[in-house]
Amino acid sequence: MVSHLFKTPRLLAGGMLLMLITAGHASGQDVQVSNARLSLLPGEQPGAGYFQLHNTGDETAVLVGAQSEAFEDVEIHMSSDENGMAHMHAMEQVAVEAGERFEFAPKGHHLMFIGRKQALAEGEDVEVLLQFGDEQRLPVTFEVVSPAAL
Amino acid sequence: MVMRLLILLVSLLLVGCGDRNWRTAETSEIMPLLDFSLIDENGQAVEAEDYQGKVTLVYFGYTYCPDVCPITLARLAGTLNRLDDDVREDIQVLFISVDPQRDTPEVVKRYTNAFGSEFIGITGELAEIDALTNRMRVTYDYEEPNQRGDYIVTHTSAVFAFDREGGAQFLIRDSHPISDAVADINRLVNDGA
Ligand SMILES: [Cu+2]
Repeated sequence: MVSHLFKTPRLLAGGMLLMLITAGHASGQDVQVSNARLSLLPGEQPGAGYFQLHNTGDETAVLVGAQSEAFEDVEIHMSSDENGMAHMHAMEQVAVEAGERFEFAPKGHHLMFIGRKQALAEGEDVEVLLQFGDEQRLPVTFEVVSPAAL
Repeated sequence: MVMRLLILLVSLLLVGCGDRNWRTAETSEIMPLLDFSLIDENGQAVEAEDYQGKVTLVYFGYTYCPDVCPITLARLAGTLNRLDDDVREDIQVLFISVDPQRDTPEVVKRYTNAFGSEFIGITGELAEIDALTNRMRVTYDYEEPNQRGDYIVTHTSAVFAFDREGGAQFLIRDSHPISDAVADINRLVNDGA
């Protein structure tokens, strides 16, 4: 369980390399994603994606969306607690400044995976395409985990 | 005379703050007895009295909540895992849906089963859920549905603990360390009430 926290990024290495090479020069942007997990329960209920973004480039990286063939929709969300009430709302984008890290973590920012198209079991991989403001696309592999493992 | 008054005053204050001194937050002064008429995860009509005899932990949520609810229940499962087996046998967790339209008995059953055998899904008529939340002075709120018809539900984030007779004792917030929740649940089970 704890090992998830330190798991190395499971990126589509080839695809990502290509992205960084092609996009790297145009925008000077490099984004690394690590520890990508998709918390899911049995049934049709939506899941939550957690990961860490590291902007190793020298310009602000702006995550504007995500998509996955395994789900009808993926949205950027944020949970918050105000006076003992749990709120959640969709976000247009999340900006990560050059050199900064940003954590999508339980009870904070998350990707909300809505409308699963196929059954997914713990331990399976889900391919997700993160979309950034400068048209950069970053494919990331999320591992399906139980919320109990977080 | 002054001393006596002082003692009286101090003891009144102590009673006012609750005499149990929970590490989490006291609720016996602010919450009434647990009381409801709802539907359990097997589709059976149930009353709060049906759950008397065990310490009851109550969480108000909805299964289409992908982040806060499962993480809270998983954390609660982790808390219960730290208790001795004989203590755990005296505890039940009621996940009471505030979204009965989507949370049918079947849905809440599958959902709560993922967290352990102590977790029981409860749903019911919206009017009955409102009667319970009003009574408990907790609130929830539906947001506007999106194009898909999905909607977000804002709801209380605490876990409420009741003694074997359904008397409110304390509530556990995220900000309370798990060790405090473990200590209070242990005490509530062992001391009885
Ligand atoms: Cu969400």
